[in-house]
Amino acid sequence: MTAQRKARRIVVTSGKGGVGKTTTTANLGAALALLGKRVVLVDADIGLRNLDLVLGVEKRIVFDLVEVVEGRCQLRQALVRDKRFGESLAILPAAQTREKTAVSELQFAGVVEQLAESCDYVLVDSPAGIEHGFRNAIAGAAEALVVTTPEVSAIRDADRVIGKLQERGLPMRLIVNRVRPEMVRSGEMMSVDDVCDILSAELVGIIPDDAEVIDTTNRGVPLVLDPSQRLGAIYTKIARRLEGEIIPFTQLGGGGFFDRLLGALRAG
Amino acid sequence: METQRVQAQEPFVASVGPNANAVPVARGRAIVVTSGKGGVGKTTTTANLGVALAARGARVVLIDADVGLRNLDLVLGLESRIRHHLLDVLEEKVTLDDALVRDKRVENLFLLAAAQNREKDDVPTEAMRGLVEKLRAAYDYVLIDSPAGIEMGFKNAIAAAGEAIVVCTPEVAAVRDVDRVVGLLGNDLSAQLIVNRLRPALVRKGKMLSVDDVNAILRLPLLGVIGDEPEVIVATNRGEPPALAANSPTGAAYRAIAARIAGEDVPAPQAAQAEGFLDKLGAFFGGRAK
Repeated sequence: MTAQRKARRIVVTSGKGGVGKTTTTANLGAALALLGKRVVLVDADIGLRNLDLVLGVEKRIVFDLVEVVEGRCQLRQALVRDKRFGESLAILPAAQTREKTAVSELQFAGVVEQLAESCDYVLVDSPAGIEHGFRNAIAGAAEALVVTTPEVSAIRDADRVIGKLQERGLPMRLIVNRVRPEMVRSGEMMSVDDVCDILSAELVGIIPDDAEVIDTTNRGVPLVLDPSQRLGAIYTKIARRLEGEIIPFTQLGGGGFFDRLLGALRAG
Repeated sequence: METQRVQAQEPFVASVGPNANAVPVARGRAIVVTSGKGGVGKTTTTANLGVALAARGARVVLIDADVGLRNLDLVLGLESRIRHHLLDVLEEKVTLDDALVRDKRVENLFLLAAAQNREKDDVPTEAMRGLVEKLRAAYDYVLIDSPAGIEMGFKNAIAAAGEAIVVCTPEVAAVRDVDRVVGLLGNDLSAQLIVNRLRPALVRKGKMLSVDDVNAILRLPLLGVIGDEPEVIVATNRGEPPALAANSPTGAAYRAIAARIAGEDVPAPQAAQAEGFLDKLGAFFGGRAK
């Protein structure tokens, strides 16, 4: 546990709520852990924590982020390991009955810094909005993943958040979540190309809308652990892109990629 | 019961602009739409209930309390008509009349937009209370669209409200957040529940919480249930609230909720909405039920 490792510190944010920040954080973390990386996930949504639920570790929380900051416990005592991933995946839970202002930006950054010394990735799950909780979440990060959906309201919020990230000089990449290919084809939904154009952002992942997410979230099972889940493979691809692998996006826009995806599903 | 609630309010003190001497005869209801979790349908609900209530003949004003991340204007299709916003009014840079945007389709529906380039911390809570009081003298309904979360923006949104509508989706994360928010609303603010984005086919397969599951935890008076329909995405992108569309299941659900809010004895909410697009898609794929 010396300071030899230095983790990538990535905040997952969006502006708008309910676009998939927590699901993305949990599944990307799980995918990176399966690739052999040591990953710590930090829930920055003090007062409205949910990352623990998505990972199904809610009953094993003893201490939380606020207690770490207040010196009531050691950082390592507060980390909850997800045993399905051996030693590779842990979560630092948010406090549920405290306010976001209980932790300052400086304190938050300090915790992330400390975590970064003993793992490969620190993923910070930002709360919705652009208030104190958001400022905390980006405080310790060196890069950002912005999650959006192909809806005007989500894109407008993402645009505002990207502006804030740029003010901080944080490099960012984009994940477009909940794409419904039929609706893109019928002109009822913006294409991923449209979204990237509007936001002038580099794309790192495209995730189709899938009702299974609701069920796996409710059960606390990361999608990447269930081989029957098509979304698991998609999160793994994003994890590999984060690792620097060049995995081309098959034809965005109205055609190819999703047609084939649908074809594969029909066949299987 | 409504009468009792009105009588229990503090006496009217705010002046009413040019009509300051007029005696307010009626007092509208100030209702905050909130949820804790984002993306569950607060803004869609605010817009559609506003449209549905106004279409019934009520005078309605909608306040976007999501300073910095406004969207209510987009959902109503009014984004290009906004010249001034909530903070301009609170800071007395413009009059209320200057800032209120009249809806394109429904008479008696007005929007007070949020500032996009300001912070939620800039909103003075007391001034917000005063503004809502003033609006209640002139409108039957003041609907306040709360931002996600439980920070300053949320606190300002609930500060002036007399009632709350909490929107929840059938997901454990949303239920947990709503439960927390109901606690924060305290005992003075009565809350009623709307369950949004229900997919009956998933409920039947045991893959989604039912309305009863949700309300077994929350235990709130149920105001309505809305099915998950892709038409909502389309409507948002176009700025056309479904509440006006005669043959829209979402619109019908919102009109029923508006009637219930107005005190009509509408039959208990039906969970069996028309099956959504994804349900059909699921069937097409041969189903993946376990």
